[in-house]
Amino acid sequence: MEKHYVRDIPRRKFIELSMKGGLLIAATPALMTQLISCRNGARSAPGLDMDKEILAGIIAKALEKGGDFADVYLENRISRQIVMEESKFKSGLYGISQGAGVRVVSGNKTGYAYTDEITEEKLIRAAEVASYVATNGSRSEPVNISEATRPSYITVEQPLGEIADEKRIEVIARADQAAKDYDQRIKMTMVDYYDEVRSRVIVNSEGIYLRDELPLLFFIVQAMSDNGKTRHMARERLSNHSGFEMFENVTPETIAENAAREAVVMLAAGDAPAGIMDVVMQNGWGGVLVHEAVGHPLEADNIAKGIGAFTGKMSQKVATDCFTMVDDGTLPNFRGTVNFDDEGTPAQRNVLIENGVLKGFMTDILSARQLSMERTGNGRRESFRYIPIPRMTNTFIETGKDNPEDILASTKKGIYVQSLSGGSVNPITGVFNFTCREAYLIENGKKTKPVKGATLIGSCMDVISNIDAVGNDLAFGPGICGKGQAAEVTAGQPTVRIRGINVGGTKA
Amino acid sequence: MNYIDLTEKLVKKCLRIGADAAEVYLETTRNLSVQVLKAEIETIEEASSQGVGFRVFVDNKMGFSHCNDFTDRALEDTISRAVAFAKLSSPDENNVLTDDMGITKIDELYDPGIVSVPMDNKIKMALELESLALGVEGITKSSGAGYGEGESEIFIGNSNGIMKSYKSSGCYLGVYVVAEKGNQKNTGGETCSRVFFSDLMSIEEIAERATKKALELLDPVMIETQKAAIIFDPAVARSLLGGVITAINGERVLQGASFLKDYLNKQFASPLLTLIDDGTRIKSLGSSPFDGEGVPTKRNVLVENGVLKSFIYNTKAAARAGVVSTGNASRSGFTALPGIGVHNVFLATGNHSQSEIIAGTAKGLFLKEVTGYGIDAVSGNFSGGASGLWIVNGEIIHPVKGVTIAGRAFEILKGIDMMGNDIDLNRRFAAPTFRVAEMQIGGK
Repeated sequence: MEKHYVRDIPRRKFIELSMKGGLLIAATPALMTQLISCRNGARSAPGLDMDKEILAGIIAKALEKGGDFADVYLENRISRQIVMEESKFKSGLYGISQGAGVRVVSGNKTGYAYTDEITEEKLIRAAEVASYVATNGSRSEPVNISEATRPSYITVEQPLGEIADEKRIEVIARADQAAKDYDQRIKMTMVDYYDEVRSRVIVNSEGIYLRDELPLLFFIVQAMSDNGKTRHMARERLSNHSGFEMFENVTPETIAENAAREAVVMLAAGDAPAGIMDVVMQNGWGGVLVHEAVGHPLEADNIAKGIGAFTGKMSQKVATDCFTMVDDGTLPNFRGTVNFDDEGTPAQRNVLIENGVLKGFMTDILSARQLSMERTGNGRRESFRYIPIPRMTNTFIETGKDNPEDILASTKKGIYVQSLSGGSVNPITGVFNFTCREAYLIENGKKTKPVKGATLIGSCMDVISNIDAVGNDLAFGPGICGKGQAAEVTAGQPTVRIRGINVGGTKA
Repeated sequence: MNYIDLTEKLVKKCLRIGADAAEVYLETTRNLSVQVLKAEIETIEEASSQGVGFRVFVDNKMGFSHCNDFTDRALEDTISRAVAFAKLSSPDENNVLTDDMGITKIDELYDPGIVSVPMDNKIKMALELESLALGVEGITKSSGAGYGEGESEIFIGNSNGIMKSYKSSGCYLGVYVVAEKGNQKNTGGETCSRVFFSDLMSIEEIAERATKKALELLDPVMIETQKAAIIFDPAVARSLLGGVITAINGERVLQGASFLKDYLNKQFASPLLTLIDDGTRIKSLGSSPFDGEGVPTKRNVLVENGVLKSFIYNTKAAARAGVVSTGNASRSGFTALPGIGVHNVFLATGNHSQSEIIAGTAKGLFLKEVTGYGIDAVSGNFSGGASGLWIVNGEIIHPVKGVTIAGRAFEILKGIDMMGNDIDLNRRFAAPTFRVAEMQIGGK
């Protein structure tokens, strides 16, 4: 699920990627696009101040040829990125991105068009293009649009717009210094600071009008160790929807030292074993395993198509009794929290699997309608250049009863996975892979030698049937989930044990 | 709007606002995509967009900003942000812009005919492709078929007086299907991407490739954990080449973050391995007359008979290394700074047909799918999930799924002992079938 910060994607890669996994990528990828100037006081995105009556007119235009549903999404994003590499401030990036998209849904068909220019003329034109899919000719009633309210789960003490750039520079320099000070074998650090404020307006043919502003911070420290024989690039990340106070709750030094610790420890890594064995996963970002293996197959778009791995399994026993999995878009200030999704549906806590029984899928408006299910607040989009699709928010294995030390002590032989890089899944077959970042051998119930980054593979149905211990130490980590478009998420889990995973090591 | 005039005007504006040197990268794009599912349109998306990125230097410090609003006020505001941001950066004498006025002449990067093909024909192609694939015995479901096209025009101007532009296009057609048998489920897909609409493969050929992938791995048999030969199908060559390309990125080499950093002009791979990057090939999606910062593109031999011949550079990394840019500045759009990347990479062919390689293998895995990150460019470790066909005594005897393969980059690359002659240069990472003598396989 993780996307590395590849800054050297050849320009036309999108064409090659376009059909990857049967998923659609619309248009130019703009992973880190951005938004507007704060010059006029109160409202930070004046470009979004379009009159409600005009917006109602655009919805009416979109449904002129028929169609069951239409929405208009206006977005304005201001972003800042500062990169330090080799202890030098390599660059500062400032971005403004503004645009709007119009969508028409007619039966199972979706028409979509977007524009960089938020004007009535351009939006009417987008509405005409999007309405291409509507051919049932039914006239829709005029839409009355009124402001809706939604609870917010995001608090801000130090707004990003009021933070001087010098303060951003300071946290970066502190992290760099702390990583270098940790050990002389740390030869290089890379610190990537990113923040954005995304303002959005959502209007639809059901009559809602919503507007809000989401701040986001993302801080990544990479530390590379080198002892002359081998080297390891380690990474630690911190991300929240919050103001700059994030760095008071967790200091840049803490992040840097965690990265440096991993880099040094892994210099001693030996060959990983190959073949099927037991795996104990430490609490935290390891939750990316179930994010990939179970979360993606529970997104309702593939279920609605009738091809997803969990198709037809609702209310059935799919996992062991000790396994409960939740997606919750309301966790305070978490990176995956949304308040309401990009279709306006309020965020909520969704229990996906409860004590091993399949309880729910994650839907957007279209898949909820196709499956006659509730909307769950998971309709998300990377930007106005993309249509909303079902996505995860904060996804985790619910905390269990076992003591983490007991889980390790009762595992005779296997691999202890302390952290993962990331992985991917085929949502149709449920076959997943992920790569260990920091892992150790387990010998006689003890964590012993570190082993080199091995790939772990399996299928989702097997893995959730083979989890036989769940700890009481739930924790989370931040990530970027890619599904044709990027989404900010967290993945979480307590310490768990999975019996029988295939490990891609170099030693028989 | 005349974008050449605008680009030149914006370069001047950057200097007026306080930059010592400046580069303007302006891009306009048009995209269309159609996705069909179960004989019905699923989505149609269409958009035109534009944007501009400003790279400015103040006292050798760099700042960058971008916006997609072309009003005077927004442009001026955005430039001011870049200038202000530059002041926060560290000075670096390698922060220079190219002054190379050259443009490599490459024919046929733009197909003016794509846009005039009626929309209904494009939809029909996707629908027929899906229907053909679903008609194949054993294929039970469709995950969708799609057609898409894009065109873009890029304008680069800088304060050294460079003003260059070019137009390019691309289109794709693909399908993704599911084969089910008892409790088994297997997926397969194929997408064909071309510069010219008329060069797209026939729907029959795309359907055949996609369905073959879904069907050929049904009824797998699990194998023991063991060492065996691995034959790489051309479709999975990227899982090895990708890590090599990252490891010869000149900036990563300078940072010490590459397993190939000390191997320039040294043998690190089998003599059968010759790797070339060609940014000048006609009708190729990876080609362009100049790279992401305006340096003319070239054909570069990166590895010759197993000897590392060149790292790849953009202007800044080249200045730091004391060499000239290899024309490998890549740009993922107007929102990004120039990075370093390749154009059209391919392996030189060898003497063997694919069937000879299979027939010459006593025990091995003919690799069809690889999952994971490939070779780790920093440490040189390789580990991935794998599926394919199991070969004993020169014959394919059954499919294999759910195994792992692993090794160290040097051992794998030196272990290449048979190189095929069956290359399809339309792939951006093109390779013939090749064999690695031995790798670790993780199974039961």
